[in-house]
Order: sequence, then structure tokens, then C-alpha cells
Amino acid sequence: MSVKRNNARERWAAQWAEQLMKSVRAVLAVRPEADPDNVRHTLILLEQPPLERLRKSLTRGRALAQRK
Amino acid sequence: MAAPSLNESELRFLRALLRRKVRFMVVGLSAAALQGAPVVTQDVDLWFEDLGDPAIREALREVGAAYVPPSLLNPPMFAGGGVELFDIVLTLHGLGTFAEELGHCIEVPLGRHRLKVLGVERILASKRAANRTKDRLAIPVLEDSLSVQQVTGRGQTSP
Repeated sequence: MSVKRNNARERWAAQWAEQLMKSVRAVLAVRPEADPDNVRHTLILLEQPPLERLRKSLTRGRALAQRK
Repeated sequence: MAAPSLNESELRFLRALLRRKVRFMVVGLSAAALQGAPVVTQDVDLWFEDLGDPAIREALREVGAAYVPPSLLNPPMFAGGGVELFDIVLTLHGLGTFAEELGHCIEVPLGRHRLKVLGVERILASKRAANRTKDRLAIPVLEDSLSVQQVTGRGQTSP
């Protein structure tokens, strides 16, 4: 049962990654000067709701500020 | 301990402003983050058309906060009520008037309301014009995020 679930999760992850990288390549084909990491991270964030994107940005920013 | 992100007090304040139809927009890197740019920021910059609008004070009162006017040493700020990390923006380098830039905003749903958020292209223009070290660091990331928006059509909403 758990092996089956793991297999399903891995299949989903592989498909998601393949689709993501296809989108990254499509952007880089038009804008070859763009940084692939920035493009990939933007595409990942665009899968989430806007407020969640802001939450992630603030969580990292405020964590950095606390460490200073 | 995990650092706090956008918290309930901050959301309550934004909703209180929107409910009172205060004319404002989110600008800066927090606006870019709302549109998917992988940037890191510590605060949320708000640009108000009229800081003297009494509805701003009413919204502040609702969340237990107050407005601190600018002095020789301090910029204008909000205090109390958990809204201290909203920064008040008075001028944005390289941009037009508030009314002009309103046309370059996208809208992000916030409960029953819609939050005006300055588009990435205009944020880039302001960063290029300001040209401080921290602005220059953000420019390549903003350019790449804008490329994603333009090529895929994602992250953009009609004004």
C-alpha cells in the first residue's frame, strides 16, 4: 500500500518536474538572456496564490533581518 | 522560532483600508512577490494617493494602530496594532503620478475586496531610476520574472 503510494507520488513528481522544465525551456527560447533559476522559481511561485507568494517572500526576508 | 510572515493584523489592516475605499496600492518588492517574482523582502510598501484621507486613520483605529506624521528625523509611519512593517511610500523614482500608475496595477483578491498591486514592469522602472545598490541587486530577478509573465501570460491580471 505505502509502496504504491510512494510510486504514485514519484510519478506525479516526475511529471510535474518535466512540465515545469518544459515551461522553463519555452521562456528561455524566447529570452535566452534570462537566468534559468529565476525563471524556474517564478514559475513555481506562480502555481501558488498571490498571498502565499508574499508570505514566502516576507518569511525569508524577516528571517534574514532577525539573523543580522 | 520561525519569523512571522504576513500576519492576521496586517491582513486585517489591508481589509479595513479596502472596505473604506482608501486609494492605495502595494508597490516595491512585496508587489513583485505577489506577482511571482522570487524576491525577498522585509516589509510591505504602500503608496497612498492622499495620506490625509481620514479613512486611513479610521482603518488604523480599527486595528488598534495610529499614524505617526513625519518629523525632521523620521519618515511617516504606522505604529501599534501589528502594522509597523507596512512602509509608507511618498515618492517613487521614475514613475508617474498615483493616478497614472493606477492604470498599471493588477488586482489581487483579498476576501471580498481587490488589492491594487503595481505591475512588475513599473516596479522595474522605479528600481532602475532609484539605482541604489539594493535596487540594482533586484533588477535581474525582476527582469526574468517579467519575461516569464510576458512569455507565458501568467501572473498578469487585467487592470
